[in-house]
Amino acid sequence: MVLKQGIDGRTYRVLSIHIEFQLERRLEALGLTRDTRITVLNNRKRGSLIVKFRGTRFALGKRIANHIEIAEVTE
Amino acid sequence: MENEIRIGFIGNPNCGKTTLFNAYTGANLKVANWPGVTVEKKEGQTTYQGQTCRLIDLPGIYSLTSYTMEETVSRECIMSDEVDVIVDVADASCLERNLYLTLQLIELGKPVILALNMMDIVEARGMEIDLHRLPEMLGIPVIPVSAKRKTGLSILLHAAAHHKDPAKQSPFIHHHHGKVSFHPHNHHEEYAMVYEDYIEDKIDAITEILTEKYPSLPNKRWYSIKYLEQDRSVEKQFPLDLEHVIDRSYEADIINQKYNFIEEVIDEVLVNKSQKEAKTDAIDRYLTNRWLGLPIFLAIMALVFFLTFTVGDFLKGYFEIGLDAFSEAIRKCLVSLQTNDMLISLVVDGVIAGVGGILTFLPNIFILFLALAFLEDSGYMSRVAFVMDDIMGRLGLSGRAFIPLLLGFGCSVPAVMASRALEHKKDRLKTILITPFMSCSARLPVYVLFSSMFFGKYAMLVCYSMYLLGILVAVTTAFILSRIDGSRSEQALLIELPEYKSPSAGTIAIYVWEKVKDYLTRAGTVIFAASVIMWAILNFGPSGYVTDISLSFGSCLGRIIVPLFRPVGLGYWQIVVALIAGIAAKEVVVSSCSVLFGIQNITSGHGMAAMTASLASLGFGTANALSLMVFCLLYVPCTATIATIRREVNSRRLTALFVLFQLATAWITSFLVYHISLLF
Repeated sequence: MVLKQGIDGRTYRVLSIHIEFQLERRLEALGLTRDTRITVLNNRKRGSLIVKFRGTRFALGKRIANHIEIAEVTE
Repeated sequence: MENEIRIGFIGNPNCGKTTLFNAYTGANLKVANWPGVTVEKKEGQTTYQGQTCRLIDLPGIYSLTSYTMEETVSRECIMSDEVDVIVDVADASCLERNLYLTLQLIELGKPVILALNMMDIVEARGMEIDLHRLPEMLGIPVIPVSAKRKTGLSILLHAAAHHKDPAKQSPFIHHHHGKVSFHPHNHHEEYAMVYEDYIEDKIDAITEILTEKYPSLPNKRWYSIKYLEQDRSVEKQFPLDLEHVIDRSYEADIINQKYNFIEEVIDEVLVNKSQKEAKTDAIDRYLTNRWLGLPIFLAIMALVFFLTFTVGDFLKGYFEIGLDAFSEAIRKCLVSLQTNDMLISLVVDGVIAGVGGILTFLPNIFILFLALAFLEDSGYMSRVAFVMDDIMGRLGLSGRAFIPLLLGFGCSVPAVMASRALEHKKDRLKTILITPFMSCSARLPVYVLFSSMFFGKYAMLVCYSMYLLGILVAVTTAFILSRIDGSRSEQALLIELPEYKSPSAGTIAIYVWEKVKDYLTRAGTVIFAASVIMWAILNFGPSGYVTDISLSFGSCLGRIIVPLFRPVGLGYWQIVVALIAGIAAKEVVVSSCSVLFGIQNITSGHGMAAMTASLASLGFGTANALSLMVFCLLYVPCTATIATIRREVNSRRLTALFVLFQLATAWITSFLVYHISLLF
């Protein structure tokens, strides 16, 4: 599944990020890489969403969220 | 030169770096709660115990890669000989993210000192940072400072002076949680950041190859890590055949392991973590709610304007009484000194009428900025970007573009500069073009004056509608442009949402004072000069000093241009002259009116009555007043804004095009408003 399909309040693990180089590097610099735990805080239906990773909240655009592959954390 | 220490200030955006820099140098660099304020490096100087310290303020960055302009500027500066010691300014209330840059800086091999800023927020949140354990784990001095309260400043310089020798390193004390390393070297004694064995093996291998090929290269470990990350600029600068060592990019591994180490550090040094985080989540549930977010935002903005008008106007009344008394006292004083009439006229009708008229708006400006500062410092502003993202997306702009637009309500100059935060050039240009349509505070005096003169009890409504009209024109322009260039919304919003905090009185005071000072400075310089020039061109004509204003140079000039303005209901030479003068600064439209119509205290009851009477005798009525306000809202921004646009777009042609476009928009909109309102 992709991040945009995440459900509010649940925590996921990042599997992969497929987005243009520049943007991917920016996300990485902010600490969003493979295996990062990411919590969805507010996933509004149409547009951007609020997530939290590495201790900070971020607003992410829909296109970014659609290109981040995630898996539910089962533990 | 021997005694000089060069200290580079670096840190994440929003960490208070520029405030700290200002605390040392006394320079008044622009501080704004928005990334991209510092784009080029700035320098200042201070002395510490007889040593000259040259301080360099670098752009705020999250990492030391070289993918953005800011990162490249900072990285090149730090690596060059320009910097002896790095002061890494970190927001202590957001340590986890800030430490990532710290680890990268430490790896660079230059002496680093960590300045923990915003410790007061940490305390206020009930958290504590173990200031003994942190330096043990990082191997660098850690100094708590408060840029705002100016504490810890000399200790930080002291540390910088003593730590500039890279040979002197503090010992590391790490626990390894029982993990056994099978790597041949125990790097934990040398480096703060030690990677997992498979990475360390590769670093060793690359270092060996590097030593062979570039024996004189300093800090080979850093270069080796950069090769593993496949850093383009290093690969280009020092080409190396590493095919058998590097089979893929290890960048993600390296980032992950750095963050893992940071987690370890945070676990050990941060006490009482995330106690108040729940509060932010609870507030966000409402403020960023799918349905409530937008109405709440609109309500907040309405409240801001309501306060600006009601409280501001209340205070303004007292200012006017004071101005009246002052003006009269000066006139009496000058008359009793038997000063000549021309000088009395210059002082009373030119300077006091012009500058004084503007000063009476200070309360409105003060309240507006107080409210904006409150919203900014509390952390709400970045939520607005999230709330507006969908709507902005439909206009072909990113949610981030909303911040420059919002700042435009204050002043167009920082607003245009804030468009730097936009990544795409097209987005930036569009935002710069439409930002001046947002009604800045300088236009407020124009609305307040003309709406109170012509609209009585509906004055506030008319003022508010000017703001709405500005937004409407900006939005329509953006929409049409995005249709023309076919650009779809990027939907690539990426913005940090800081935790909510109760705004600090100090920060707000500094912010508001800066703006009030700006306003006063403008009143004392641009508006003063404009008032004197206006007085001069209105009191001198082809025949020398004239008492009849209609024989003056100003009148001649106005009459030439009048035909252009007749269709929009502004075909009066006085108004035309005031509008031209208003290009210097928009408030000048008001101060010019008082000079033009010879009214001293233009904002007071009798002043306005006198002005309404003289305007009415010219046939200037409600529709004309509305047209004038609309024209003031939309026409050429002030000279300072034009200069800023010119600097930001870096093209004279484009700047001229922008200005022409804004003039045309103003003319067309005023034309429509004038003729539609004539129908009623």
